[in-house]
Amino acid sequence: MPRVALYSSIAVILAISIFPFWWMVDTSFKQPVDIFGGVTFYPHHPTTSNYHRLFNTYHFASYLENSLIIVAVAVSVSLAIGTLAAYSLTRFNLRFGLNQSALVIALLVRMIPGILLVIPLYITLAKWGLLDTRLGLILIYSGLNTAFVIWMMQSFLAEIPRDIEEAAMVDGDSRLSALVRIVLPLAAPGLAATAIFSVIVTYNDFLIALSLTSTTNAQTVPVGVSTLIGKIQIEYGPMAAAGVIGALPIVIFALVVQRHFVRGLTLGAVK
Amino acid sequence: MAETAAPRKSREGWRGRFLASPYLLLIPAAIALAGVSIYPLFYGVRASVTHYLYGRDFGFNGLTNYRNVWHDEFFRQAMVTTAKYVVCAVTIETLLGLGLALLVSREIRFGGPIRVGLILPMTIAPVVVGVMWRLLYDSGVGVTDPLFQLFGASPPDVLAHDTSAFISVVLVDVWEWTPLIFLILLAGLQSLPQEPLEAARVDGAGRVRLFLDHTLPMLRPVLFVAITLRVIDAIGTFDQIYVLTKGGPGTATRLISIYAYNTAFLFTQYGQAAAMLIALLAMVMLLMIVAVRMMRKSLR
Repeated sequence: MPRVALYSSIAVILAISIFPFWWMVDTSFKQPVDIFGGVTFYPHHPTTSNYHRLFNTYHFASYLENSLIIVAVAVSVSLAIGTLAAYSLTRFNLRFGLNQSALVIALLVRMIPGILLVIPLYITLAKWGLLDTRLGLILIYSGLNTAFVIWMMQSFLAEIPRDIEEAAMVDGDSRLSALVRIVLPLAAPGLAATAIFSVIVTYNDFLIALSLTSTTNAQTVPVGVSTLIGKIQIEYGPMAAAGVIGALPIVIFALVVQRHFVRGLTLGAVK
Repeated sequence: MAETAAPRKSREGWRGRFLASPYLLLIPAAIALAGVSIYPLFYGVRASVTHYLYGRDFGFNGLTNYRNVWHDEFFRQAMVTTAKYVVCAVTIETLLGLGLALLVSREIRFGGPIRVGLILPMTIAPVVVGVMWRLLYDSGVGVTDPLFQLFGASPPDVLAHDTSAFISVVLVDVWEWTPLIFLILLAGLQSLPQEPLEAARVDGAGRVRLFLDHTLPMLRPVLFVAITLRVIDAIGTFDQIYVLTKGGPGTATRLISIYAYNTAFLFTQYGQAAAMLIALLAMVMLLMIVAVRMMRKSLR
C-alpha cells in the first residue's frame, strides 16, 4: 500500500475513534439553545454553566470523592496481597500443583460476568449492613482485582532472575527484606502496569456499584453519570459534562503513562 | 551491603521464616478470591432454590425458580438477543481488529500516539461510552439524524426502532472493543517469527498468499484468545445498554444481563434471577470447554 493511502486510512480510523469524545466535549460547553440548534462542531457561545450545574445541582463532587477513596484503597490492598501471592507462586514449588492451578483460578474469577456476582453480593452485603457503604465496595473490588494482580504480577516476577535475591539473602537479608529491597524495585514497571490496569477497571465499574449503592454515601462516578439519564427529561448539557469529567482521569492517565499503559492492557491477555 | 549484613542477620529467625512461608503468602489472596467467587456463587446457587417474595426470604422451594425460568418466554428471547448481539459484535470486531493490526504493525511514524488514540475507546468507562453515543444518536441533539438528512433520507431516530436500535448498540460495542482485539493481535503479530515469512517471500509468495498460508495460521492461537475473551465479556454486556436504551424499544436490545438485573432489582425476584444466571454460567462454561477442545484439535 502506498504511504499516502496508509496514513489517510489511519487518519480516518483515528477520526472515528476520537469523534465521539469531541462531540461530548463540544456538547458540554454549549448553551442549551445551541445543543438543540443543529450540528456545530465547536461551541459557538462557549459556557461552563453545565459544569457549574453538575457540581452545584447534582453534587458531582461527592461521586468523585467516593471514586477516589474506593479506587485508591481497593487497588492498594489488592496490589499488596496479590503481589505476595504472585511472589509465592513464582519462587516456591508448591504442593497440589498450586503453581499452575492458582493462576487458572485467578483467571476464572476474573472472567465471571459481573451480573452473576451482584445478586449474591447484594444479599450478603445486606446481611452485613454494608449496602451503600464505601467499605462494601472496597472489599469487593479488592477481591476482584486480586485475581488480576496475581495473574499479571506472576508474569513480571518470573522474569526477574532468582540469583539476585539469593545473593542478597546470602548477604544477610531475610526473604521478606530481599523481596522489599531487591525484587520489588526491579518489578516496578510491572507493578506500575498492573496498578494502572487495576485503577482503570475499578474506576470504570458500573454494574456492581449501581446494584450495591443507592445514595451519594457511596455512589461512584459512573453511577453518578447514569443518574443524570434516569430522569424523565434528559439534561443533555450536564450529562455531557458528567461524561467529560468521568472520562478525564482515565484519558489523562492514558496519555501520561502511554508505554506502561499499552503493556498493561495487552499483558492481561497475551503473555 | 556487606557492612549492614550483621544486624540484618538477627532478623532472620523463626519469625522471618514463618512470615515468608509460601503458603502463608497465599492466604490473604485466597481469602480475597474466595470472597468474590466461591462465596457469592455458593450464595447464588442457594438463592436460586429459595422463594423470595417482595425481596424477603421465604425458604427453600426446590427447582421452582428453574422451572419458571425454563418456561419464561422473555428469558428465551433475551438469550436469543444476547447470542445475536455477541455473534454480530465479535465477528465485526475480529475482522476490523485484524485489519487494523496488520495496518499498524508496520513501522509507521507517530506509532505511539496513534496507538493511544486507537485504544482510547476501550479505556474509558462503558457508562461514559453510553453517554457519548446517546449524544450522537439522539434525535434532538445528535448527529445521526442530520447525517441521514444530508443524504436525503428521512431522519430515522435510530434508538426508537427495533432493528436500528439493535444495530446501533452493536456498533457501539464495535467502536468500544475493536481496540482490544487490535491490541492483542498487534502483540501477536509483532512476536511472530520472521524467518518463515522471509522464506516464503523469497520463494515469490504474494502478499495475500503470505497472509493466508503463513501469517494467519501462526496467528491462530492469539486470535483464539482474543475472540474467547471478547465473547465472554460480550455475554455480560450491561453498562452501555443500560445508558443507551435500557433494553428497549420494547425488548429489542434487552440482553440477558439487563433482563436479569430487572428481574432482581426492579421486581425483587432474586431467586428467579439467580436461577437465570446459574443457567447462564453453565452455558458459558460449556461454551468455554467446547472452545478449548476446538483449539486443542486445531493445534494438533
